[in-house]
Amino acid sequence: MKTLQKKLLLLLLMLPLGLLAQNTLKGVVLDGSSKQTLPGVNVLVAGTTNGVTTDFDGNFTLTNIKKGDRIVFSYIGFKDETITYENQNTITITLQEDQKELKDVVVIGYGTVKKKDATGSVTSITSSDFNKGANVTVDNLLTGKVAGVTINSNGGSPGSVPTIRIRGGSSLLANNDPLVVLDGLPMDSRVLATLNPSDVESFTILKDASATAIYGTRASNGVIIITTKKGSKELQVDYNVQYGTGKKVNKIDVLSADQFRQVVNNLYPVGPSVPNSAFNQGVRDKMGNANTDWQEEIYRRTDYIDNNLSIKGNFLGLIPTRLTIANTYQEGIRLTDYMNRNNVSLNLSPSFFGNHLKTRMSLNYTNTNRRNAPGVEGGAIAMDPTQPVYDPTSPFDGFFEFRDGPTINDFAPIAVANPVAQLLQTNNRSENYKLFGNFEVDYKFHFLPELRWVTNLGYDRDAGNSRNFTPITARTSPIRQNALIGNNSYSDGVSTNKLIDSYLVYNKTFNDLTFDVTGGYSYQIFEGYGYTTRNQNNADDIPQSTVNDDIVYVGFFGRTNFTYKDKYLLTLSYRRDGTSRFSDSNRWGNFPAASLAWKLKEDFFKENKIISELKLRAGWGVTGQQDIGAGLFYLPQYYLGDQNSQYAFDSNYFNVAQPGGFNPNLKWEETTTYNAGVDFGIKDNRLNGSLDFFYKVSDDLFQVAPFADGSNFTNEGPQNIGSMSVKGFELNINYDVLKQENLNWNVNFNASKFERRIDEIAGGVPIFVGNIGIGTESQIMQEGFTPNSFYVFKQLYNNDGSPIEGAFADLNGDGLVNNSDRYIYKNIDPNLILGFSTSFNYKNFDLGFNLRASFGNRILNVVKSRSSYYNQILNGELQNLPSSVLDYNFNTPGVGQILSDLFVENGSFLRMDYATFGYTFPKWLEGKASLRLFTGVQNPFIITKYSGLDPEFTGGNDQTIYPRQRQILFGANVKF
Amino acid sequence: MKKLSQILTLLLISVSFNSCTDDLEVDPNDPLRLDEEAFYSQPGAYSSAIAGVYANLSLTSTNGATSSNLGGIDAGFSQYGRVVWYLNNLTTDEVIWSYEGGNDIGVRELQRNIWDASNPFFRGMYSRGMLQVALANEFLRQSTTDKLNSRGISATEQAEIQIYRQEARALRALAYYHLMDFFGKATFNSENDAVGVAGPEYNRQQLFNFIESELLAILPTLKAPRTNQYGRLDQGFARMLLAKIYLNAEVYIGTAKYNECATQCTELINAGYVLNPNYKNNFTADNHISPELIFAIQSDGVRTQNYGPTTVMINGQVGSLEQNGDDMGIQGWGGALRLRKQFVQKFNGSEFSNDQRNNIISGSRNIEIADVTDRDQGYVLFKYSNRTSTGIAGSNSTFADTDFPLFRFADVHLMYAECAVRGASNASLSQATTYINLLRERANNGSSIANISQSNLTLDFILDERSRELHWEGHRRQDLIRFNKFTGGTYNWAWKGNGINGIALPQHMKIFPLHPATLASNPNLTQNPGY
Repeated sequence: MKTLQKKLLLLLLMLPLGLLAQNTLKGVVLDGSSKQTLPGVNVLVAGTTNGVTTDFDGNFTLTNIKKGDRIVFSYIGFKDETITYENQNTITITLQEDQKELKDVVVIGYGTVKKKDATGSVTSITSSDFNKGANVTVDNLLTGKVAGVTINSNGGSPGSVPTIRIRGGSSLLANNDPLVVLDGLPMDSRVLATLNPSDVESFTILKDASATAIYGTRASNGVIIITTKKGSKELQVDYNVQYGTGKKVNKIDVLSADQFRQVVNNLYPVGPSVPNSAFNQGVRDKMGNANTDWQEEIYRRTDYIDNNLSIKGNFLGLIPTRLTIANTYQEGIRLTDYMNRNNVSLNLSPSFFGNHLKTRMSLNYTNTNRRNAPGVEGGAIAMDPTQPVYDPTSPFDGFFEFRDGPTINDFAPIAVANPVAQLLQTNNRSENYKLFGNFEVDYKFHFLPELRWVTNLGYDRDAGNSRNFTPITARTSPIRQNALIGNNSYSDGVSTNKLIDSYLVYNKTFNDLTFDVTGGYSYQIFEGYGYTTRNQNNADDIPQSTVNDDIVYVGFFGRTNFTYKDKYLLTLSYRRDGTSRFSDSNRWGNFPAASLAWKLKEDFFKENKIISELKLRAGWGVTGQQDIGAGLFYLPQYYLGDQNSQYAFDSNYFNVAQPGGFNPNLKWEETTTYNAGVDFGIKDNRLNGSLDFFYKVSDDLFQVAPFADGSNFTNEGPQNIGSMSVKGFELNINYDVLKQENLNWNVNFNASKFERRIDEIAGGVPIFVGNIGIGTESQIMQEGFTPNSFYVFKQLYNNDGSPIEGAFADLNGDGLVNNSDRYIYKNIDPNLILGFSTSFNYKNFDLGFNLRASFGNRILNVVKSRSSYYNQILNGELQNLPSSVLDYNFNTPGVGQILSDLFVENGSFLRMDYATFGYTFPKWLEGKASLRLFTGVQNPFIITKYSGLDPEFTGGNDQTIYPRQRQILFGANVKF
Repeated sequence: MKKLSQILTLLLISVSFNSCTDDLEVDPNDPLRLDEEAFYSQPGAYSSAIAGVYANLSLTSTNGATSSNLGGIDAGFSQYGRVVWYLNNLTTDEVIWSYEGGNDIGVRELQRNIWDASNPFFRGMYSRGMLQVALANEFLRQSTTDKLNSRGISATEQAEIQIYRQEARALRALAYYHLMDFFGKATFNSENDAVGVAGPEYNRQQLFNFIESELLAILPTLKAPRTNQYGRLDQGFARMLLAKIYLNAEVYIGTAKYNECATQCTELINAGYVLNPNYKNNFTADNHISPELIFAIQSDGVRTQNYGPTTVMINGQVGSLEQNGDDMGIQGWGGALRLRKQFVQKFNGSEFSNDQRNNIISGSRNIEIADVTDRDQGYVLFKYSNRTSTGIAGSNSTFADTDFPLFRFADVHLMYAECAVRGASNASLSQATTYINLLRERANNGSSIANISQSNLTLDFILDERSRELHWEGHRRQDLIRFNKFTGGTYNWAWKGNGINGIALPQHMKIFPLHPATLASNPNLTQNPGY
């Protein structure tokens, strides 16, 4: 009784204190997995402005709180913790890593952002989304997965550098490649062919200027950010091995040996009263007795072997480390062609001072060896099918060649060379050594944890050499003074790229407003030099050394992000970039950008269970481009003559000196982009996607344009003379159709469309491009039209629909049919691009494939247009013709017929790049490892009406390409 | 301590942000490329620079015969002397080229007189000629007294550079003369214009006035004839060029100036030039020693490599049947050049059987060229040679050592004679006959067996004799136009106008058109009538 009274009294006494007292809570916050203290954690009383952050030791002191207050602990990358204050004095809070949130963190320029907070057009692809199959180069992981990004492997050469275009590119003459940033280091797109695909953790594609402007130069064409895999807390070992066997898919239709014989006999009739009978008999006698399918002879079955071993762990318990060793061996279908690539890469990311100082060092070394086979498709198509591949009496190492006599210098000068011999006798080997890496330091200030200082040092060194040897007995070896001399040449070169980035990041949260500000500086320098002996068998060839002019970029950049109530987002950025390519007065470009986003879901659909995300975005930005190749075209320079370019006064030979052409007015090409988009998600983002509309205008476009004769020291050169606009849309949808314990089915669908237009060219004068070797180009750049439009003659037809040779419409009605009667007919751009990929898992089985389609792109079939003429069959010696000659019955090639719209074909296609099927043994080796075995087909099929070999190549003029192969794959992935 | 570390950190940050913006001024790394001031601070820079102005006649770039400092046209097709030869000889009765397809775009249209404005040779000649003007102008800008003083050039060198300046002006006048002759117009740029200025269009009258005034102004200060270093021009060059514009003045400006022409010819005849006793020694690998050359475009098989007129002519002379490349000291191009019938017939007659100028090889060939691409048809020529006058082969079997005789003394005799026939008051017909006979005697080894009398001196005779003497030296089209035989149908030759025996050409074809790229680059230029 007494105790009860005492307690009641105490309670009564305490009550007013409890009601009136403002208490203080002290505590410490720990990282749930490392048990280390966590500085910088936000500690906030929910619904108020009362908040602090933990200090360097993870401690905090929160005052003015009362019982019942809910206190929220939040930190990026960790799940929020909420406790209710019950008058504790001290407390220890443990925060757990939010795996999902980590996954939603996207790398952007100089920082990261949560995907749901991104205000620009940003697409993130992580390893689970990558394309499966034979991914020899890094771009293979992405093909067809991202709306607005087209990747063209440029044919079947193993490990070739692809052509990547984001939203059609923004330039005409200047580099249209997107900027590739690898672990913070901006690099040449060639790195895509040397990096091992298994090293890649994720890609972030930045498409609109509000996201790319912070990169300044080269960001006009979009940015591809590649992040490589890091170490992990526990030891993980991955070993992947793949084997593939491949062969060619199809051939170009040419006359068979028997068809050829028939055609020759028809064209060159003999008989008693037949005119020219003796001459014709001579032509017939040129035919051989063989039946050679030259396109079969130049190709072979290929092998592909890929091995990579990756070890991730925590070295000495302190340093998260990843080490990868890989080898890729891929043969090309042309005889002798192959690539062998070895990679070693190491990534260390230790942190010190309790995560105050995070460092990351990555090093990558790649060694690639190739034997490069020359392009012989043209030779194989034109080679006489009645001739054999081998001829034991031939002085050309036993290969058949057209000749007038028994020695090697009796070769027929204008005849086609044996393409098999060319492949087997040409020994062109190249080696490439690439070392790149960077070292990044991220320091969170002890006295001010909201402030971080990041410095990134990057280095890239690319060294290569190449040897080209052809024996004197090779018909295709160089000729000097009518004699074959063989080829023996060597060349090498080194190019380096060094970068320093340094910036400060400050972030702060007040109540409903979170903001961060970043400001920094970037310096990058490119150097290079080279040496070639030229052909050492040629007395006229002298070795040459070149040193490239240095290219230097200096940039200052800043960005701020505001988030209000986690609903309204604003990003502002600014970059000022200087380049060494322009004169002092034009050197600097200013690139501002701004974007907003509104999370509609939070405002209108907050409680809606169906709509899980709905965000509207709008952005604007200006980006710059200055990469025209030449480093110093703005500068007046004097060129000194070499020893073959001298002039004599009496008997003194002078090295002459001439001023070179220059353009002091060169300045930045600038692209302004407007982008509007919506990101949506349905049912907890089971179905999610985005839709973007964009419009961009490029001004002061670079183009090689004529200088007024007499005003400069050359008659044409790079100038800023035009403007171009591109508009379009992109749609990206991801759908987890089924997401169950044992059954998963995910599909990704994307669609994009872009339309390029030249708005202005200086003087309104069109520029002709697309050299097909006849002195007249096939394409035109003209105001009001899409770049690379075909500029052709309009074919006239008979009543039965067959084309009349050499007959074209007199479109300007002047009674003459000449160059003025060409017209613009279609262009190389597609009207619509679609991509689709899916993966399906049932228990331990998995199945995946993709599809890509392009509609409306046009191609000029130059193979047909230059060779479908009966008169081409005899050019010194006999040569083969495409089968289309039987359809058209044309006799004589002429500029008009070669550039006729008859040969501009629709290159629309639907292609599957890969289909794979696998089975996983999850408890292999008593549960210590998992093993997945898989098989698949690479490049299984393409559906197209295009009559040439493959509609997928760049430039629009099909003069034969290196064909792609179809491969059957087998492989295993082992995880420990 | 905290404050100190704060300050230190901020300091570190600002230091690390120290802009290396100075690095944005990059210097050229290539040893063969210097920025302007670095170049002119080297000793002997001005000699190299004037050599560069001359070199534009021979070279297409500073790094070899296959490179060009002009775009949009193959290196060979924009070599100065070669385009002059193509436009003035290939378009006439004197020669035909066998390779009409493939890489030789535009040749077919030139030699059959069926060209249109897009022919690459028109771009080549206009751009190359205007580049000559630009290089001369730049030399003049860089060699003003102020510039020379500021660069510390000594007084002796400055005196020599003054002569270089006059030579640059003469080379500029030469380029305008060629453009005036071929296109009837040119863009006018002088050293007073800054680089990048698109100049106005000058017509023939304006160009004529400029060339005349320039040459008369520099004449006194140029070196006396035959006293300058070989490869540099002199008063002889200036007088020759004046003689040429006066001779053609009726064509250019509609006013006859034969008196003025005769004056210049007389000066040249008294200047000390002599006819080389051996005609062919004007066209050998060592023709730079011939006393008959007034000015030649240099070529050297090793040191001044170019696909210029002599390299083309000598390689082209090698016959498909004759395989006489070795005799000429060169590799040959399988029979690229043959003669049209009408030219061959100028040597018909017994008086030409021993004429040194008759270097026609007939062999078993047919004089008729029924198929232009058949290298065995038509006669061939062996006038130029890459062997010296003593028979030693040139230094390279691809590129000729032989210089191209742009201006030769024999031409002066013929010009004097023509002025006399055309009624110049200070040129006598009897003196003219003597001069022609000197040519005839030289051609006949000193014998007067083929000499003419005054009554033979007619306009038709002069025209034919010019071809016999000066064929393949870059004159024929200009001569035919002056004698009104190029266009129209009074004189037809094989393949003229694309007719196998030749057809009449319309009048507007006396002038060549401007290439579309030339027009596009300068809004002040207008296309010639008829194109």
